[in-house]
Amino acid sequence: MNRRTFLKVTAVAGGGLLVGCTFQSNPNISAPTAISEDLGLFIRIAKDNSITIISPTSEMGQGTHTAHAMIIADELEADWKKINVVTTHTVRSEYNTSSDVSTGGNRGIRLWWDRLANIGAGTRELLIEAGAQKMGVLVKECEAQNGHVLHRPSSRKLSYGQLAEAASRLKPPSSPKLKSKDRYRFVGKAIPRLDIPAKVNGTAIYGTDVRLPGMRYAAVSQSPVFGGKVKAYDKAAAMAVRGVEALIPIPHGMSVVADSTWHAQKGLEALNVQFEVGATAGIDQEELGRRFRTSLDDMGKTELSGEKVLDLEYEIQFLSHAALETMNCTAFVSDNSCEVWGPFQFQTSALNKIKEMTGLSEDQIKVHTTYVGGGFGGRFRLWGEDFVEQAVIISKALKKPVQVMWSREEDIQHDYYHPASRSRFQISLGDDGLPSQWQNQQAAGSQWVQNDKLLQILDLNPMAYSSSAHSGLSSVLFSTFAPKFKPHYDIAGVNFDSTVVDLEIPLGWWRSFMFQNTFFLESAMDESAHLAGVDPFEYRIKLLRNSPRFKKALELVAEDANWGSPIAEGHGRGIAICNFSGSVCAEVAEVSVNKRGKLVVHRVDCAIDVGRYVNPDTLKAQVEGCVVTGISVATSEEITFKDGRVEQTNYDNYRIAKMRNTPEINVRVIDSEHGPFGADAGLPPTPPAIMNAIFAATGKRIRRLPIGRQKLV
Amino acid sequence: MTELKINGKNRLVDVEEDTPLLWAIRDTVGLTGTKYGCGIQQCGACTVLIGKRPVRSCGITVGEVAGKDITTIEGLSEDSKHPVQMAWVEEQVPQCGYCQSGQIMAAASLLKRNPNPTDQEIDRGMLNLCRCGTYPRIRKAIHRASDLLKEVS
Repeated sequence: MNRRTFLKVTAVAGGGLLVGCTFQSNPNISAPTAISEDLGLFIRIAKDNSITIISPTSEMGQGTHTAHAMIIADELEADWKKINVVTTHTVRSEYNTSSDVSTGGNRGIRLWWDRLANIGAGTRELLIEAGAQKMGVLVKECEAQNGHVLHRPSSRKLSYGQLAEAASRLKPPSSPKLKSKDRYRFVGKAIPRLDIPAKVNGTAIYGTDVRLPGMRYAAVSQSPVFGGKVKAYDKAAAMAVRGVEALIPIPHGMSVVADSTWHAQKGLEALNVQFEVGATAGIDQEELGRRFRTSLDDMGKTELSGEKVLDLEYEIQFLSHAALETMNCTAFVSDNSCEVWGPFQFQTSALNKIKEMTGLSEDQIKVHTTYVGGGFGGRFRLWGEDFVEQAVIISKALKKPVQVMWSREEDIQHDYYHPASRSRFQISLGDDGLPSQWQNQQAAGSQWVQNDKLLQILDLNPMAYSSSAHSGLSSVLFSTFAPKFKPHYDIAGVNFDSTVVDLEIPLGWWRSFMFQNTFFLESAMDESAHLAGVDPFEYRIKLLRNSPRFKKALELVAEDANWGSPIAEGHGRGIAICNFSGSVCAEVAEVSVNKRGKLVVHRVDCAIDVGRYVNPDTLKAQVEGCVVTGISVATSEEITFKDGRVEQTNYDNYRIAKMRNTPEINVRVIDSEHGPFGADAGLPPTPPAIMNAIFAATGKRIRRLPIGRQKLV
Repeated sequence: MTELKINGKNRLVDVEEDTPLLWAIRDTVGLTGTKYGCGIQQCGACTVLIGKRPVRSCGITVGEVAGKDITTIEGLSEDSKHPVQMAWVEEQVPQCGYCQSGQIMAAASLLKRNPNPTDQEIDRGMLNLCRCGTYPRIRKAIHRASDLLKEVS
């Protein structure tokens, strides 16, 4: 770490201790008071020995609450049974930072491990010092042990709760000493998650479960054509519905407020809102196809030399997040305060939206994060936290607490979709069968470019370069800013071009959001191997000669999956590998396709290297989930447009994987000193591994995701 | 006024008879463990038991279930020690957890009807959606719960 940690200690009412830290970007040239990010208060120790860890991340199933507790407990030598974790409550008082408060992008461990370890270790040193002082002994004779400070020679001990008050008056250490890895009691072990007990008995509180005295319920209807306006509605019919109290306009729509969710939904149906115009009015599948076609063709084709050449085109469609908990937010706005509760992924954006809307200062606003019923990037509302905005508008108008909850239909039709894209490869193989020319062009929608004027001017889509085989611009771009994006395949003659397809459709982050690049690359790699007449595993190994981490992952997964061993009639195996934000994951899928073309995925083996990891069981669970999502994306998920609006409405026509689509999934976690990175690398290899396996089983190559109604035989 | 028998207690609810049971449970009775996910009986997040049967409470009205035995996640056990709940913790099933009340109720019902289901029977019996992708662990946990049930009896 090139940044030093400065601990900050505060006494709390009742004699507790609160420890946080300040980070100093460059301690050599600046005083502690200079440009420092006050990262707030992370550990609270109360007199009764209870320890509250204030996590800077939302808990949405990825397990960072428990992981953060493990990191701190190890350095603090805490009693695990006394630990409770909450998400940082208010952006300002507990987490005052110049960077955003948000959860996503595989940053929950990456960004926080070292910082939290330092805070844990520093707090331990403070408590030891306080303990030594209280017992009148030397610090060096004391040690921390399971929530106590022990004086070794006399075996006397004091609990952390007994020492909290005294510790809060001490000067925090400037460079706390961290544990060596072999002394970890929690990190690296499969510690049961702290949030799971509440998730098996109905007591876990999600956004939709927030109940406040006098709270009203609101249902919303927004223009199905993005950006459209309300034209007409039946006020009398809605107000006649039992329990309906108010009709309040919201941006691009209307809300109905009632005494229950059901009455609000019934009122909304009676309101029968009609809309007009909108930014996407002319958009349908044909128009979108034309735009992608033109964008791709405008980049021009290449004349390939050689005998063995490939001219391939792949595509992936728009996707919805479809998290089980729909968008919702509960707000209570008064003249001088605003509190919101919800399943937030992007608290800073919520805070900024509220400031802008109410004119209140940060001191007057509180953002409470509940458990999140599925994130996947869907609660990063890049055009401005619409669900928070709605709750604030309504509560402000009524001067009452209000819970806005979207119906599933609103949620699917007003998402921030994973962008569609198309990729063309023109590949020529040399005499050795390896690529001698590798021309790749990509036309893609991009949430990044959509929200960044500079990238629009440059027509530069950084996402197109990730997980790719491209050199040239990508190597310049990413060797400077993110060397982890360096291409892993050693391919000669690579030339890459990408263009951004201009879309008025709201686009956003998605689980493993650049996974489509792996589908394109690993499909093209497989087709090259087959054309060369070389086993797809061996072919990749040759091209990974300069990437030992990748080679190792591929070899391990091939071994686990018995790659090359005899296989049942109608079955096939496919292999794929990815680099996702620094993590490496290789997978082998085994599938069968019967005579009627029915696909079954039987087994997926994964070997993942995320660098050092906190909880191996959580990591495995994340990879399993990624594989299931990968199967879902490969087989059935697709958002389509007609008359300017999304055609899908609910889970009956936006189909996600079920139990019966789930194969045996084996995850091998590779021990590694890199990182830490994230677990989302589990998703990108799954779709191409399945497509490559289908080819092995049937000789049929699927180049468009999802498989949907495409015939496999 | 309709009388609902939820988790062994009689509750008088002042809602129209055509109100989906889900909303009476969540907004009127105040038991929020049962979740809304789709409103069209597709996702199963709102699964409760009527007698031994798993029922999607968004698709059945208060009028239809008056007087019947309704069990929600809160009533499955008093101490989270139902074999399915124990198996769910042992296998560390939930991720975001939003769908899990429904998954657990569906699994509890499946095991009541079939104490020793095969993988195929689990595929056919467990139709609830999980977006995090916890299915492999749900499958393991159902087998484990099946073993726990045998130990109990």
